[in-house]
Amino acid sequence: MLRVPDSEVPRALEETSATGVAVIAGVLPQSDSLATRAALVEAAAESERRGVSTFMPVLDPNAANVRVFNLLDLHPIFRELILHPLAVALVRAVLGEHFAISNFTANIARPGSRSMSLHSDQALVAPEPWLAPWSMNIIWCLDDVTAENGGTLYLPGSHRFTRRDELPANPLAHMQPFIAPRGSIVVMDGRVWHTSGANVTADVERALLFGYYSADFLRPQTNFNVMLSEATKAQLSPELFALLGLGRDGNTRVAGEILGERPRPWVRA
Amino acid sequence: MNAKQRLGFATQADAARAEAARTDEQREPLASLPLPAPTRDTADALRNLRELGVCVIPELLTREQLRRAHDAMYLAAEDDAKRGRAQHGFGLDVDERNLRVWNLLNRDPVFSDLVEHPVAMELVRATLGWPALLSNISGNITGPGTSRGVLHADQIFVPEPWSAAPQGMNVAWCIDDFTLENGATQVVVGSHHWNRMPTEADADVRMVSVEAPAGSAIAFESRIWHRTGANTSRDKRRAAVFPFYTTPIYRTQENWFLSLSPGVANAASETLLTLLAYKSDGFGLVYGRSPR
Repeated sequence: MLRVPDSEVPRALEETSATGVAVIAGVLPQSDSLATRAALVEAAAESERRGVSTFMPVLDPNAANVRVFNLLDLHPIFRELILHPLAVALVRAVLGEHFAISNFTANIARPGSRSMSLHSDQALVAPEPWLAPWSMNIIWCLDDVTAENGGTLYLPGSHRFTRRDELPANPLAHMQPFIAPRGSIVVMDGRVWHTSGANVTADVERALLFGYYSADFLRPQTNFNVMLSEATKAQLSPELFALLGLGRDGNTRVAGEILGERPRPWVRA
Repeated sequence: MNAKQRLGFATQADAARAEAARTDEQREPLASLPLPAPTRDTADALRNLRELGVCVIPELLTREQLRRAHDAMYLAAEDDAKRGRAQHGFGLDVDERNLRVWNLLNRDPVFSDLVEHPVAMELVRATLGWPALLSNISGNITGPGTSRGVLHADQIFVPEPWSAAPQGMNVAWCIDDFTLENGATQVVVGSHHWNRMPTEADADVRMVSVEAPAGSAIAFESRIWHRTGANTSRDKRRAAVFPFYTTPIYRTQENWFLSLSPGVANAASETLLTLLAYKSDGFGLVYGRSPR
């Protein structure tokens, strides 16, 4: 059951198409936001217990940015969230029917956390020209997100850049933070140039979950085959199992559709 | 849907658009350029690959490698047949006489050697960069009477319009001599410059057959139009190994983590582990790090 009015979906899609980003408030009720946030804190602790640091020097300039990987393995609540009906409806609308789950991670910006460098998720990996979204984020706001506590800074309209040389000379001057109350989701086209904001508050944390989805011909950021425990794999619905790239089919859908209906057992041990 | 209809890769509208976009020069019946002369010189081979999209490196395998690959390939095909698992009638084939042998890496270590042959690696690094991925490796045994296959380019999964660089490549190995008679792969040399998939309107494109002695490598980038040739012989089989590589951003056609025997991964070199995505960077990470 969706809590937001039906009209929010077309409105958000229109805004995503115009600016690259849209906020939908009120997707998670307060109690769910708090429960999810509590699960995230547990997940972070469990991750550390498993020996996986939540500080990623490659991504972040200092340890005040807490990263939690493998949310899907760490708590069942995240396996529901990644397939939240509203999220899936938005993903299908932006990426089309054939998508994959590329990653699901959390970033808690603690006071003093600093900005990443400017990037577009798609430009990092996909060859120019970037003519269509090949990936996107559904970002879950588990805290109020403000300009001060590290709200993601993005360059409105930058999803229309098809080549790197279309970036303005001083992109940072034109960046805007997205501002969203706890329980919102933020839709972000994979082509949008963005960076995490700095958390300049004295004492306010900002937890975000990044559901990252891509076209199904792209390799997922995370290797779920290795990442997920066998116990978790056994609990996955057939739909989630396929969306995580755990099945045998691999990157064969397009060829299969075009070349006809004959069976295509690519994988035979 | 019959084989001829299946040859259409896109809708009629797409075909019409592609036709309209052609230059006058291209509107004349599309035709392959001549094949480049086979060469053992890697610099020459790379220039051919860049300019013509195809290169042939003659008799690159040692006698021992070729014997081993030949035996392993036909043995694997025999094993499949004995167990009722032989696969005829793959989507790229129009009849039941072309035999596909899957997952060669699990069959014999010689196929790992082919995948990471130093010359293959040099071509892959120069064409796709590094790391690259092995998307798939299959064997193809064309039997007597096999019709020609379906015209296609291998980067079929990349939405068009394509970027200006190849997203993948084959470094195929001739396990038997490739002859006009026994189904040598047919290619459209230079078709990578058109930078698009063939459509139904391209069915009459003039192709050339890549004839080469057993042990040769035939490399072609992923935008090159090609198909299996017809085997018009009465009694000759023609085996080949097709390792298909891509840049590291694409999902592999084969889910190695599901299908590769653990023993093969354990014995794999660093290079092979990279190609199979067990060593990774940026994509396919585990807790933000390489799986191994």
